[in-house]
Amino acid sequence: MAISTHGDVGRGLDGLAQIAGKISTAIESVIEGKPRAVRLALTVLLAEGHLLIEDVPGVGKTMLAKALARSVDCTVRRVQFTPDLLPSDITGVSAYNQDRREFEFKPGPVFANILVGDEINRASPKTQSALLECMEERQVTVDGTTYHLERPFMVVATQNPVEMEGTYPLPEAQRDRFTARISMGYPDPAAELEMLDVHGQSSPLDRLVPVAAAADVRILIELVHRVHVAPAVRQYAIDVVTATRNHPALRLGASPRATLHLVRAARAKAALDERDYVVPDDLQELAVPVLAHRLLPTAEAQVERRLPEQVVAEIVDRLPVPDRRR
Amino acid sequence: MRARLTVIAAVATLLSSIGLYPLFSGTGWLWAGLGAIIAVSSAGVLARRFRLPAVLNLAAGLAALHLYLTAVYTGSQAFLGIVPTPSSLSKIGSLMAAGWSAANKYAAPVPLEQGVSLLAALGIGLVAVIVDLLAVRLRRAAPAGLPLLAMYSVPAAVREESVSWIAFVLGAAGFLALLLADASEQVTAWGRHVLAARWTEETPTGTGGTGALAGAGRRLGIAAVAVAILLPTIIPGIHPRGIFGLGGPGDGPGGSGPLQTPDPLVTLHQQLIRQDNGMILTYRSDDPQPDYLRLYGLDKFDGDRWTYSTLTSTPQDRLKNHELPPPPGLYGVRTRTVHSTITISAQTAKVRFLPLPYAPTKVDISGDWRVHAPSLMVYSLNDQAGGRTFTVTSSRPLPTGDDLVNAGPLPPEVQSTFLEVPQLLPKAVRTIASQVAGRATNPYRKAMALENYFTGPLFRYSTTTPPPEKLNDLIHFLTVTRTGYCEQFAASMALMARILGIPARVAVGYTSGHVRADGTWEVRSSDAHAWPELYFDGAGWVRFEPTPAGSGGQGSAWVPDYALQSTSVGTGHGGTGAPGSGGHSGPTGAITAGPHPGRAHGDVSGLGPQGGNHPKGTGAPVGWLGAIGLLLVALAAPVGVRLASRRRRWAQAEHRSSRSAAGPRVDQGESAHAAWAELHADAVDHGLAWRPSDSPRAAAHRLTELLELTGPAAEALARIAMAEERARYAPQPVPAGTLRTDVRTMREAFAASVDRQTRLRARVLPPSAMITLRSAGTRLLEAGEYLRLPKR
Repeated sequence: MAISTHGDVGRGLDGLAQIAGKISTAIESVIEGKPRAVRLALTVLLAEGHLLIEDVPGVGKTMLAKALARSVDCTVRRVQFTPDLLPSDITGVSAYNQDRREFEFKPGPVFANILVGDEINRASPKTQSALLECMEERQVTVDGTTYHLERPFMVVATQNPVEMEGTYPLPEAQRDRFTARISMGYPDPAAELEMLDVHGQSSPLDRLVPVAAAADVRILIELVHRVHVAPAVRQYAIDVVTATRNHPALRLGASPRATLHLVRAARAKAALDERDYVVPDDLQELAVPVLAHRLLPTAEAQVERRLPEQVVAEIVDRLPVPDRRR
Repeated sequence: MRARLTVIAAVATLLSSIGLYPLFSGTGWLWAGLGAIIAVSSAGVLARRFRLPAVLNLAAGLAALHLYLTAVYTGSQAFLGIVPTPSSLSKIGSLMAAGWSAANKYAAPVPLEQGVSLLAALGIGLVAVIVDLLAVRLRRAAPAGLPLLAMYSVPAAVREESVSWIAFVLGAAGFLALLLADASEQVTAWGRHVLAARWTEETPTGTGGTGALAGAGRRLGIAAVAVAILLPTIIPGIHPRGIFGLGGPGDGPGGSGPLQTPDPLVTLHQQLIRQDNGMILTYRSDDPQPDYLRLYGLDKFDGDRWTYSTLTSTPQDRLKNHELPPPPGLYGVRTRTVHSTITISAQTAKVRFLPLPYAPTKVDISGDWRVHAPSLMVYSLNDQAGGRTFTVTSSRPLPTGDDLVNAGPLPPEVQSTFLEVPQLLPKAVRTIASQVAGRATNPYRKAMALENYFTGPLFRYSTTTPPPEKLNDLIHFLTVTRTGYCEQFAASMALMARILGIPARVAVGYTSGHVRADGTWEVRSSDAHAWPELYFDGAGWVRFEPTPAGSGGQGSAWVPDYALQSTSVGTGHGGTGAPGSGGHSGPTGAITAGPHPGRAHGDVSGLGPQGGNHPKGTGAPVGWLGAIGLLLVALAAPVGVRLASRRRRWAQAEHRSSRSAAGPRVDQGESAHAAWAELHADAVDHGLAWRPSDSPRAAAHRLTELLELTGPAAEALARIAMAEERARYAPQPVPAGTLRTDVRTMREAFAASVDRQTRLRARVLPPSAMITLRSAGTRLLEAGEYLRLPKR
């Protein structure tokens, strides 16, 4: 792909790609053989979204989250979600300071650039919903005081498939707040063998040094905002989302917020590809990770074991791409 | 319940019943029929709702029809307005009888009396019962076409004119819809039926594919109907009128079949007794005393009356360069070349035979006019002469009495055809003939004796006598009444001439009419006339005039000078001439010794079988050449469309970019769009394609992998795809660059990657040329899709 040379965006994109390349190399030194997952995680970071990593235990969900967090020089907090976790354990609490005779706010782990929520579906719904405000509005309100969160702010949550024991499925509202859901999948045998060699001695995570500063990421996010989305492509995004709403196999389609997330993520992906405009291919590639986790299949579709992922893939497969600028 | 199929069956019945329109006046019968169909279909739905056996389904339909007829036509006699009572039954019976007698009394269209309306509703309702039973209950949609066809063929059988092609399309479309609905229900019997025209509204599930199948079915159906309508118009010799009555009422059923016209003699009588004495035609002629204008030559006496033998018309009979075949038997006498310009009055309807002075050699008229060589009748299967002007050159034979006395021996084919008289002819006729002929032995003398016999004091002229329909009427005329008009005279003289061994036929047409002050001639309906033509070898067919002329007879009739009494009384020293014409038989420049020197020769040789019929084969290729030419044009059309669209794309792109050169942006990506469209068309031509959901990038990727492209081709493809992608989605498109060359490179790459057959097809019949047509068809189908009934 030829490197774009149009205006400042183009030049900025060169730098963006460079930094993004460094970050993904850093992460991939920890997570073997999962370039797609790594790239998607980066895309979500640049789109200022939140990432949900769903898979069975032990495939490296937490490792990916931590590697991403650690490769960027920013504050990282990790919360292990358990059934007895309280909302204040996440947002922070006002405690009485006896010396100063006043309540003072002790920020919770949410006050970080990257919040790694491990096994988020093991927490009670009450605690899960405490994340809602933080994720969408990037602010926390405790005892009537609103605290803004620092940019970039990204929640990387991992969860086990809902069939596993001792889990509370995330409510639809909360699932809708995650820009994308990815699943890690088992590594292929060669990657697993290499992992044995590398992880045999010491955790590679320990050796990971940050390759980008939080300020860099903020600049990158600004650059992503300037990626061009042609009206035809916007319409195409709307068409894709509308199709999920009308699809006979789906009980709940994607929300307008999903459209927003889809276009935002497509911008980030275009920027990562060093392109200053979005093409339908970006939307096609991101449709499944961005849309599938928000959809509810009908009872018939469930009986037929048609997953929302399949439905979205089918929609993308059949919807004609826009062939003219509108 | 099969509600949808029921509705479609009902609609099919209704559409087919529209074909009955020529039978009735007004449209009330259609509403009566619609009511019957609704009643029958509702009964069918009910019967199926309770899962009654097929027999009861039939009974229910009949019962519903009965109730409907009772309610509509005998409501006052019925119990509660609908339940049949004895009195309502008898009312229906009497209505049916009244309707039946009305239908027999009137020619179609029948005035819509109550009885007729009841019969129409009953008939349509019965068809609806059978169609409902067959198509919906028994699921045999194909045989259901038979009752529909039967209904369609009723007017075709009753009326001479065929049913409008629109009625055919409606009926055929209804039946096709029924077949399609039945087939699609059977295909989807075990799966979920999903329409796929607009997938975003209803996306096909796993069992999909029936949508495409139904689409193909609909396309096939439309194509079949279109072919049925259009094919007859392109094939030479078959005329659409013959099948669907396209283009107005017609007389003849087809271009290559037997030709039928209203009986010439009946028409003749109708014209003679017309009160208004309407203008038929006017003409200008360079002949001072023009001869009669001939429409028909009736060559056959069928035992009762004169008619012409079945006229089988083929495209070979078309006039070539307006020339007619040489007149049979005309070679040894003087002729006059006559030029006439004839204008048929616009009010004269259905002129399919041209009125021409005998013997026409050249007729200058546009359209598909054909000639019957033995009789020199000029006719058309689909053109009308009403209101038209044409010129005719004729070679008028001017035999003298001597010429006729010394006529040569009869050619065998004339002898075999024109001497035929029915075996069972009553002896009285033969007796009269031989009495009239007396001692005369020469054919000409016999003919003169016959003419004198009819024009003598024994016979009287009257148009009030009914036209002779049976042989007995003629005998009655000859032996008892001796009163008639030209038809009786001409028919009797021709018949008696045959008995006496003179080849004869009856010509029908007009007399010369009356001359106006400005020198033109006008012919009115009262000038309609019939006369015998007798054959004398050398002079050909010459006319005689047995009908009394002048104020006591056919006013404008006149006797040709060779047939004047004085001539016959004398011994053939030349005639004194007909009024106004005699003086002109002198040696004027227009008179030649024979028709034309070359023609005379051709005439003699032309007297083979079929008389002056021209050799076969010379005309045959013209039709076929036309057909082959048409086929070639049809075959070349896709290539033409393809090349034209290629040129248009590039030209448009260039035009737009040059126009926008003045503006702030140079190229809006038009050339990229053109290049991409060309690439797509080339790919389609070579049987390669990508899905509509593939972006340029994805399509290029797919093609590169599929064709294993490397090097310049891969680069060219990437360039085209990038240019198109940027033109579509980027803020700034890239300049056109080498796109045109790249497209050519890709076309060669496509051609290199496919087998020979595909390559050939891409060059000769590029499928992309069909895309326009197909997309138009799809739009049509999708428009139709909105009219479809919701699924049950």
